[in-house]
Amino acid sequence: MNEKVFQSARLAQPVATGDYWQHLCYVSTWDAFLAQSGGEWSRVFRDGAKVKFGKPSGSYVMLGRVKGFPAYWSQWTLKVHPAFEVNGLPNPNEVLNPNWNIGYSLGPSSLTGKFIDDINQVYLHQPNANRIDIYSLEDGRKVGEIVHNAGEYFASLAWVQPGQVAGLCRTSGKVRIMDYLSSPRVLATGRIDPFKVAAYDSTFKLFFTIGTDHKTRVYCGELWPNGLSAPVFEPATVYGLKGNRVRVRLTGQDGEPLPGWWVNWELEGVGGEIIGSLDKYGNLTDADGYASNLYIGPDDGSTGQCKIKARVVL
Amino acid sequence: MGLWHLNTVGPCMSYVDNGSCVPPPGPALWGPLGLTYNGQLITCPKHYRQSTNWVSNFFYEPGNDRIIAHIVLNTTYWPSWDVQRYEFNAEDGAWCNREEALARQAWIGIWGAAYTRAATMGSFNKIYACRNNETDIREISWQYAEPVSGGWSANPYTWNPKSIYGYAVVNRIDNLLAAAANWTLDCWRNISTTPERFAQLRLPNVLNYLAYESRNYCWVITQDGVICKADYQIPRWEMISTVQNPEADALKYFITYDTKRKRVVVFRQRPDAADGACQHQLEFYYPMVKAGQLTQPVPVTSLKAGNRIILAANLIGDAGEGVTPYTVAGEMLSPVEGRLVTPFSGTELNGRVCFQYQAPDHACTETLGLKVTVEES
Repeated sequence: MNEKVFQSARLAQPVATGDYWQHLCYVSTWDAFLAQSGGEWSRVFRDGAKVKFGKPSGSYVMLGRVKGFPAYWSQWTLKVHPAFEVNGLPNPNEVLNPNWNIGYSLGPSSLTGKFIDDINQVYLHQPNANRIDIYSLEDGRKVGEIVHNAGEYFASLAWVQPGQVAGLCRTSGKVRIMDYLSSPRVLATGRIDPFKVAAYDSTFKLFFTIGTDHKTRVYCGELWPNGLSAPVFEPATVYGLKGNRVRVRLTGQDGEPLPGWWVNWELEGVGGEIIGSLDKYGNLTDADGYASNLYIGPDDGSTGQCKIKARVVL
Repeated sequence: MGLWHLNTVGPCMSYVDNGSCVPPPGPALWGPLGLTYNGQLITCPKHYRQSTNWVSNFFYEPGNDRIIAHIVLNTTYWPSWDVQRYEFNAEDGAWCNREEALARQAWIGIWGAAYTRAATMGSFNKIYACRNNETDIREISWQYAEPVSGGWSANPYTWNPKSIYGYAVVNRIDNLLAAAANWTLDCWRNISTTPERFAQLRLPNVLNYLAYESRNYCWVITQDGVICKADYQIPRWEMISTVQNPEADALKYFITYDTKRKRVVVFRQRPDAADGACQHQLEFYYPMVKAGQLTQPVPVTSLKAGNRIILAANLIGDAGEGVTPYTVAGEMLSPVEGRLVTPFSGTELNGRVCFQYQAPDHACTETLGLKVTVEES
């Protein structure tokens, strides 16, 4: 599970009863999100503040675009248009796919996100719940694919940085960061809570969602700890008058190592005095999720039991 | 960029007062008062002899430096309707022809008001309007809204593609026309020779009114009070903002641009008061930076103990547009366990401010308060 850094108290909800969000896109020049519902254009901010500025028209379907902008596909002309920077509305005067019409079966919807990179002339389409196909905008040829095995369509495909997109699954909350340009593959996986609409904040590298409860949630790329192993001595035999190496491992939901978290160490006597001492009382987990310490055995020849407690600061 | 609300004149005009009212069910068509049309207008508690039916035109008239509204009224007197020209001082919104209009002497005739709509200033300081009874766009007289004899006209229905418009701005100098029927603003060039529709701008909502600013710019106001400025030569959207308190009970919005003072004037058509009094208002706006709200700071990096944490907030205008330049001050509210590394931050172009906070090595809860001072002058 990715670390959730924020959940709003404010509700970002369409005004009209029964209306619901269909698309969400981070607009890098606004540092805000463009949300589209059946009857509403709105800007939504990370804290859940929402400003309605219009009402969609013209059957344009939003999709992700390179550099963190929305683009719009028209099901009537099969063309993709960029958006005006000031208000995010479709700009029908420009076409991003002049050489290849993106047909009805390849176009985006509120269920399956699509992505266009008109700089590198590629279009990302999801033929099934486990794969993304990469098409050339020049002639509509399939030039590559990414097998992600999420088992669910990405509701949003959003720009991360040059050559990378993020895919976000609505029901399972699975997220993927994928390379679609140099060597198409999954670069990172994670999980967030299920949502109604979601986008990727390419400025701060965040996953941003609006839930079915209308609250906004912000997740950073870092995974949230799921388990801390019991302290293990290496080697297993502990001696007095010596620093004995002991370590714990911090892992995420799917067993991934979690680096850079503070671990606090403590000695606790078992039915008596504390025996020996620790080298450190707080340190960080390393790249493999391990935090190591030294237990210095007693120097007076005493024997007995003593407990080492390790805790993660969340 | 947003719209700074300068002042509101409300109500900006009034109806002819009947001086008394008739208890429900109101006066009969033929009765002791003589012939009374629209009896509901003077049925208690209402006591005015007029009420607004529709606003035909609203524009800035540079020759007289006045804001003009042509309004079709329902009346209790013969023939049950009236059409008056209301003139307002462009400087302060004062009603200039009050005596004349209340004496029903600002009558402009029915044909101008019925057949002409959405007039706005255009090239050479003349007034142009679309028409209800024909597809032509014509130069009209500001007094009577009637086509000027021998004046300029164009008929987009004869162009390719054939078009009929309800709103138009005319730029004869550059041979351009920007016009809309409902959702799109069509931009035409070479209108005096071979007209060509070279671009379209999709509107954010149903259009209420379109106003000319200059050879490059025009203004639109939508039915929910959102105001956009467009460059119709490129074309592209230049600005988005909104009227003050758009959620109030507005029936319609009308917009015009005062080319002398470089500011926007909005006429807000509102329903009559309980006693039938007119409640329409004029609102004056100056296009400039205006902060509307400061969003809550949200952490955008991992909240691990010991980390340097970045928090972002946005200073935005009424339509959500980023606002700059302002300085936003941050302050940790006690009890403080970490340290705010940046106590203040300047807004970026999109209104974003970022604060850095150094977290202690243990778990804690902290509160960051943000403050921005917006000076009104």
